[in-house]
Amino acid sequence: MSALLEIDALTGGYRDTNVLFGLSARIDAGSVLGVFGRNGVGKTTLARLVQGSLLAVSGDIRISGHSVAARPAHVRRAMGIGYMPQTSMVFDDLTVRENLNLGTNRDTPERYFERFPRLAERLDQPAGTMSGGERKILAFVRTMIEDTSILVLDEPSEGVQPENIELMADCLEERAAAGAAVLLCEQNLGFLARISTGYLGLDAGKVVLEKPADEVSVAQLRSVLSL
Amino acid sequence: MASVLLPVSLLLAALLLIPELFGDFTAYQIGLYLIYGIAAQGIGFLWGKTGVLPLGQALFFGFAAYVTAITLRAETGLITELALAVAVLVAIAVFACALAALIFRGRNDSGPYFSLITLALVMIAEQIAGTATTLTGGFNGLSGFDSLGKLDPFAGFYYVIVGVTVAVSLLLFVLNRLPVNLIARAVADNEPRLQLLGFPTHIIKGAAFAFSAVIAALAGGLFASHQGIVTPTSMGFGLSAELVILTAVGGRYHVLGPLIGAVLVGWASAELRDSFPYWELLMAVAFILVVLKAPGGIAELLEAGYRRVRATKPGAPSKVIAAPPTKAVDAAGPLRFDDVHLQIGVVRILNGVSFQTPATGIVSIIGPNGAGKTSTLNTITGNLRITGGRITFGRRKIDSRPPYKALHSGIGRKLQVPSVFFSMSVSENLAIAMMANRSRLLDLLRPSTYRWRSRSLSDLLDHPSVPLKEELVEPVDHLPQGHRQFLEYAMTIAAEPQVLLLDEPCAGLSPDETALMTDLVRHYQAETGGLVIVIEHDMSIVEAISDKVLVMHLGQVLAFDTFEQVRRNPEVQAVYAGGTK
Amino acid sequence: MSSVLFLNLAWQISTLALVALGLAIVFGKLRIMNMAHGEFVMIGAYAPVITSSLGLSGWWQLPVCLLSVGLVAFVLERAIIRHLYGRMFDSLLATWGIAILLRETVELIFGRGYQSVSPPIGGTLRLFGADYPAYRIAVIVGIVLGFAALYWWSTRSRVAVRIKAMVGNPELAEAVGIDTARLSAGAFVFGCCTAGLAGLVLAPTIRIEPMMGLDYLIRSFFALVVGGLGSLEGLGIGAGIIAGTQSVLGAVANQTYGYLAVLTLSILFLWVKPDGIRSSSR
Repeated sequence: MSALLEIDALTGGYRDTNVLFGLSARIDAGSVLGVFGRNGVGKTTLARLVQGSLLAVSGDIRISGHSVAARPAHVRRAMGIGYMPQTSMVFDDLTVRENLNLGTNRDTPERYFERFPRLAERLDQPAGTMSGGERKILAFVRTMIEDTSILVLDEPSEGVQPENIELMADCLEERAAAGAAVLLCEQNLGFLARISTGYLGLDAGKVVLEKPADEVSVAQLRSVLSL
Repeated sequence: MASVLLPVSLLLAALLLIPELFGDFTAYQIGLYLIYGIAAQGIGFLWGKTGVLPLGQALFFGFAAYVTAITLRAETGLITELALAVAVLVAIAVFACALAALIFRGRNDSGPYFSLITLALVMIAEQIAGTATTLTGGFNGLSGFDSLGKLDPFAGFYYVIVGVTVAVSLLLFVLNRLPVNLIARAVADNEPRLQLLGFPTHIIKGAAFAFSAVIAALAGGLFASHQGIVTPTSMGFGLSAELVILTAVGGRYHVLGPLIGAVLVGWASAELRDSFPYWELLMAVAFILVVLKAPGGIAELLEAGYRRVRATKPGAPSKVIAAPPTKAVDAAGPLRFDDVHLQIGVVRILNGVSFQTPATGIVSIIGPNGAGKTSTLNTITGNLRITGGRITFGRRKIDSRPPYKALHSGIGRKLQVPSVFFSMSVSENLAIAMMANRSRLLDLLRPSTYRWRSRSLSDLLDHPSVPLKEELVEPVDHLPQGHRQFLEYAMTIAAEPQVLLLDEPCAGLSPDETALMTDLVRHYQAETGGLVIVIEHDMSIVEAISDKVLVMHLGQVLAFDTFEQVRRNPEVQAVYAGGTK
Repeated sequence: MSSVLFLNLAWQISTLALVALGLAIVFGKLRIMNMAHGEFVMIGAYAPVITSSLGLSGWWQLPVCLLSVGLVAFVLERAIIRHLYGRMFDSLLATWGIAILLRETVELIFGRGYQSVSPPIGGTLRLFGADYPAYRIAVIVGIVLGFAALYWWSTRSRVAVRIKAMVGNPELAEAVGIDTARLSAGAFVFGCCTAGLAGLVLAPTIRIEPMMGLDYLIRSFFALVVGGLGSLEGLGIGAGIIAGTQSVLGAVANQTYGYLAVLTLSILFLWVKPDGIRSSSR
């Protein structure tokens, strides 16, 4: 059975410098792959290559066996990849409501308003007037409700207060349990450790650790992060 | 200095050879192209460095040409003519500087608007020149005068043109070596960052525009003598458009680029215009191609080729010299918010914020998302104007002032997303930071200013864990995010501000880098005895460094106390519970 | 005020609003500083010249106008404009080159001289006690109705929201499934077509020649500066102020003073109220 998301010997980067070199991974439905590593190792590059805003130099990306490496981002979205970027993650000029209703959704946001009440209060407010953390939460909820089967999130917890991070972890767990495949790039080890079913540790664009969650200790994760 | 004298000497030699090798008539033609080239060089300076695009330079070119023609017709004698020339140049400089500064004062992104206004100005000027017949001779223009000093355009006057060309080129080469060059480029690179470093960017743009206007006027004056006739086309849209095309095609980032463009295009146009009816079309296509594919124009292509043949050696690192002290700021003392309100549209971002910090120490601002923490910092530096209340630092009111005045009030700020000069190297970034609040106008004209280093900056760079020392020549856009944080931090403290505002300084840093940053901040505060205000989410950091903690919620102050007291405060606990990374 | 003056004012304001509409879309929404905007007006104005030289009846003017303008806009968008979204200054430069290109091409085909065409509706109507050309009245009414329809559409349409999203954050727009290439091409072509339509409508009342576009570019731009970039009301207000000022001063003094007044007004607005009267923030 082919995995929901397959990354095959992916090499890519920016202009003339490659950041990732021959990276391979697979994420099945219901699993959460925690991608971690220091600043600059290629986490964001990986996220953008999978999602489509960056095109790979070589290698392939497959959704349920279909190759998408040459497809533009909006086509990959139609095929089921949802994305929460690390920066510029909302439409500043649109209201919260418009941000949430822009794409095709599988869910209404009401479920998430219970967990993140601040969002419900700001439905008609332009997203750009909200604080950084609130925008993260808006982007996160949008990613949760989209009709996607593969979620790519790039440092969703950065700048978010800890109790909301807990709630995010709950939401992701539920989504994965409902069949989604999650690619989670993070520096926050506590967050990763809570929900990852497998780990991909990166250093200098290559994989240095690749293990299922139950075979790895947090100390091992930390050792990949420090010098 | 060799790198300046060599190209200038070559230029001089080449230009002097032209009448010898090709005859007087060719020299006359080349003289005209050089005149356009000089005007284009002014555009190249303004546009290539500050990014401001003037679409109406013929306004100054034509104005100077008309004044010259009128004066020469009156035959008042060389001294009077030269004195009048100087007066006109000064008047043009003042007008241009005022116009640009006015338009750029209100907002940072006025660039395209400014371009269109210069366009409209030149169109009106052309219209006036065509209709004010008594003054300008109407459509037929002014003629019937001798050139300056009665020199023959087909002989002696050529050397006047050469003289001006070489002088302007020499001046531009020299300016390239001076700190003003870096400041001008910084305006195009990251204007908000430059403002927070205390530079009034609208005045810098105004000065650059005035400089380009004066050069265009110089060229216009030469034009009148050279051609012997001035018509409304000299003050028209067509000429202005042509000058920009010459600059773009020749190369706006190089001193000699516009000259190359003017001579090449001028010569080709003269040769081909009659035989090739699609000449104008071809120029338009060439222009579009340059914009899309080769923004540096011919000069850049030539330089790229040259570099492939002869790789440039990196220069030897120059010795640092001690920087002068920062300009005295008479402010010190607590920072105080008095019932501050900030409302944007219907959104109340700050809803009656009042607090007073201690005179020195570290204050952390914490609070849930949307509490107004970054907005608070924005009101301190003037990036946002408050709608009620007041903010004082010591005895001075500091709210509602433009951001470039913040540093002079003693306030330095590091932004939430690392904001540095991305097109420059680390050392160039640091050089600009060293000029912040220290340099006087004259210092910007001295190359030694590049080597300024303060004690505190040297200490910072020498710190074993700070990665910047090995990366001094690296362009900033190659640095990873964490290193950019350290660079911005270094730049912010370079001016030794009394109040240091840090917005999430540890965002995106690994645990080791975070420990380093907190050490640096603590060290800075201890060394300078100033005030540091930090926005943070990580409670372990807040606990480690804070003298007092300000808790904000929904645009108001919830608590302001020591960390222990704040932690025990039941209201704070209800609203916001911290955790560690 | 005499009825004729009032009707003239209505004519100036409504036609300027139509001319500036295209720029409001292309510059206001797509952030492309389209220096060739006036040239699209110009091409539209040549449509009647084309139809009469081909011997076609007046009914062909509209299709020829939309076809020629639409085709040129589409080709330019695919070839050049699509590389420039988000690069406002580069778009200024490139479209300027395109403007020169278009001017020269038209000059090569039609020559530099003035052309004129007669209005499709002749005669006058009696309105407010004055005799006024029926054609102009029809145009004024048409423009008012057209704007009302456009306004109604923009409040209901999802396309408007998607354009806003795409302009603000093109990468994220793709990530949520918006085909940005197609959307921006469509918006650009639509904006240029409204400019062409304005040219067609103005053609019987002006001298048609290759250089006519610059004036419309500048006045459209000033209308947007004064009125604000983001909304139809702003466009109306801006057109009202600019056309009004120019008409009044042009009648009282002369054209040059009218132009100078409009320029001074725009500089003042940029200095004091840089976002215009009705900016796009809610």
